[in-house]
Amino acid sequence: MSAPLPELPDGGRCAIRAVDLTKSYGTAGSPVVALHRVTLEIQRGERVALLGKSGSGKSTMLNLLGGLDHPTSGILQVGGNDLPHMSSGQLARFRSATVGMIFQSFNLIASRTALQNVELPMIFKGLTPQRRRVDAQAALEAVGLGHRLHHLPAQLSGGENQRVAVARSLVNQPKIILADEPTGNLDSSTAREVIDLIMQHVRQHGATFILVTHDEELAATCTNRVIRLKDGQIQA
Amino acid sequence: MRFLDLISLPLSALWQQKMRTLLTTLGVVFGSFVLAASLSIGQGVQDIFEQISRRNDVLRKIQVGLGYKPKVPDPAQHKVEVKGVFAEGRKQRLQRSIVGDDQASSTVDVIIDRQTLQKLAAIPHVEQVVPTVFARGFAVLNDQSQYATIGSSPVENPECQTRIVAGRFFQSPHEKSLVLHEYLLYQLGLTTDADMEAAVGRQIRLEFRRMHGQTKFELNLHKSDNTHSTREELAVVDKITNQLPAIVPKLELTAADLLVLKNTFQSGPAPVTQTFQHTFTIVGILRSRTPEEDRRHWDPLRTHTEIVLPSQTAVDLIEDILPKGSAVADRAVVMIDRAEHARSVVDQINELGLQSWAPLEHIERERLMYLLIFGGMTCVAAVALLVAALGITNTMLMSVLERTREIGIMKAVGASNGTLQFIFLLEGALIGLLGGSCGLLACWGASFPGDAYIRTLVSRDMKFDIEGTLFVFPPWLMVVVMTFAVVVTTLAAVCPALRAARIDPVTALRHE
Repeated sequence: MSAPLPELPDGGRCAIRAVDLTKSYGTAGSPVVALHRVTLEIQRGERVALLGKSGSGKSTMLNLLGGLDHPTSGILQVGGNDLPHMSSGQLARFRSATVGMIFQSFNLIASRTALQNVELPMIFKGLTPQRRRVDAQAALEAVGLGHRLHHLPAQLSGGENQRVAVARSLVNQPKIILADEPTGNLDSSTAREVIDLIMQHVRQHGATFILVTHDEELAATCTNRVIRLKDGQIQA
Repeated sequence: MRFLDLISLPLSALWQQKMRTLLTTLGVVFGSFVLAASLSIGQGVQDIFEQISRRNDVLRKIQVGLGYKPKVPDPAQHKVEVKGVFAEGRKQRLQRSIVGDDQASSTVDVIIDRQTLQKLAAIPHVEQVVPTVFARGFAVLNDQSQYATIGSSPVENPECQTRIVAGRFFQSPHEKSLVLHEYLLYQLGLTTDADMEAAVGRQIRLEFRRMHGQTKFELNLHKSDNTHSTREELAVVDKITNQLPAIVPKLELTAADLLVLKNTFQSGPAPVTQTFQHTFTIVGILRSRTPEEDRRHWDPLRTHTEIVLPSQTAVDLIEDILPKGSAVADRAVVMIDRAEHARSVVDQINELGLQSWAPLEHIERERLMYLLIFGGMTCVAAVALLVAALGITNTMLMSVLERTREIGIMKAVGASNGTLQFIFLLEGALIGLLGGSCGLLACWGASFPGDAYIRTLVSRDMKFDIEGTLFVFPPWLMVVVMTFAVVVTTLAAVCPALRAARIDPVTALRHE
């Protein structure tokens, strides 16, 4: 096991801090800049929406915040962790302990039941099977799927699958929740239910919530700040 | 992450892909089967070779003979006068013949005496040295005597032990006892079964004659029934021989005849015959070999004499009846610990100046055969496992490709690169474990009909029954097969595991 992650100096109230954050893809000769010198700060417990059209860089921003991707340059501190300078092992532990991610396409493992999918983050966290079982069951009951524990994703509806994904992202009680178009594949009433579940957790635990969406109304309802992205840059 | 969870994840993945797991494992099963069969038969063949050679320990026996050196020409031969006129080459040959130096090109250099026996015993890997003693003398029992041949044997001599029909064989190489043939007892006047049985435990005297002094006159009795002279007849012949110088002038001979014999009776002191007597206890009675026993393979310890003494007792006897400094035996048998050491022991015996005979070619042919069988089958097994390993690599690379999204999800929820690597390596190892176990089990199952088939072949073609089984499964074999299968399949999983760990989670999550 490696040493605990260092607490950054201004990690007191600030949950996320990005300075001149840039992410580009492709070759050096013809780079595609997804994010260009983005600077932002998000406080603990703050609920922020990243709004923008397709290709504006909001999903890239979310992947960087979740430690799934590395920035090309700039400073990025999340939950007191200096992500660009962390090893792959440290990033894995960061994803397991600090953030919970919810995707538009659910991203459940098809061969595992709802219960097993929710248990997955706890397996990588090293919890005992008994503890995992209890926590996963509780998480699924909290999202109204207590009767669907042993169903495979294929046997569940889209809304139910997304609830499983929500349960999975919240089961480790992360400080930061990152949601990438969580209602993009759902009808409006199901979308409302899923958002309510997430918001309930956010309020209960005082978690920081970053929502990537292109839905202005959803952003206005769920968050208290909106950051607009266009061509990889924050709009004033 | 907990170790049990690390195992459960690859197990679960294997279970999800049952058909793929089955086919991949079958390759490993085949490879492990061939490897196990190779090792098993290799060990079995070696065991059988050892078993055959241990039946009479023929491969562990080295026969040792006297050492010879080239004869140095007698310098006197050049001074001998050859009558007549001859070419130089013929003249030299005639000179050699005149001095009696043309019969042998070599002369005895090293004899087998007590010191030689001790030197042989000191050679590394030598377990026992058995001198092959041979003597002739009279066996005397109940005032009956019979001319007999006397040999020696080690305490452990299955060839003699199986022929004991009454009493026992030797318990110590030094015991003052002997075993003798039942026909010799018959010749000594024992004519009932009871007499024969009662002979065990009785004392028997062996008498040896040694003639001292020079004589040029010798009388022999040639009997019409071709039997050897009795000791009474020889005593009479001795008396006649001693009286001959005195009675020859009284015979009806011409002056010329007497002149011919003159030198014969005036060339030295009269010969004296000395008799040595030793008493032994009869401990066992031998029968003749059956025709089947007679056909058995060559054994240097096989004795054809009518009386057999324990090896050291025989040496003591020979030392007593022969002049000091004589060889106690013409040959000896050196028994070594393992056949593989025969070559080095033979070399050291030759360094002592002695001659040696060992079935080295047989030993080396046996080892060559074993190595060929073992090497050939191991190559086949290695190829089979290599093919299986390539299959595993290919299948797991496909699996990594198919599970790209799953890998991305696992990374997103906290799996590290190392964890993913370990999961895929463990998948490979589990395939090896499963395949290796099934391969071993299949080999064990196939060994029964295989063993029966080979046994029938050998029995039919070689008239030889194999004792035990041709397929052996010692613990080391199981460990080797399992380890090899697991190592090969784990190595086969290295490339897929590295690829899985290198997968970019963002790309993986977009993968359909």
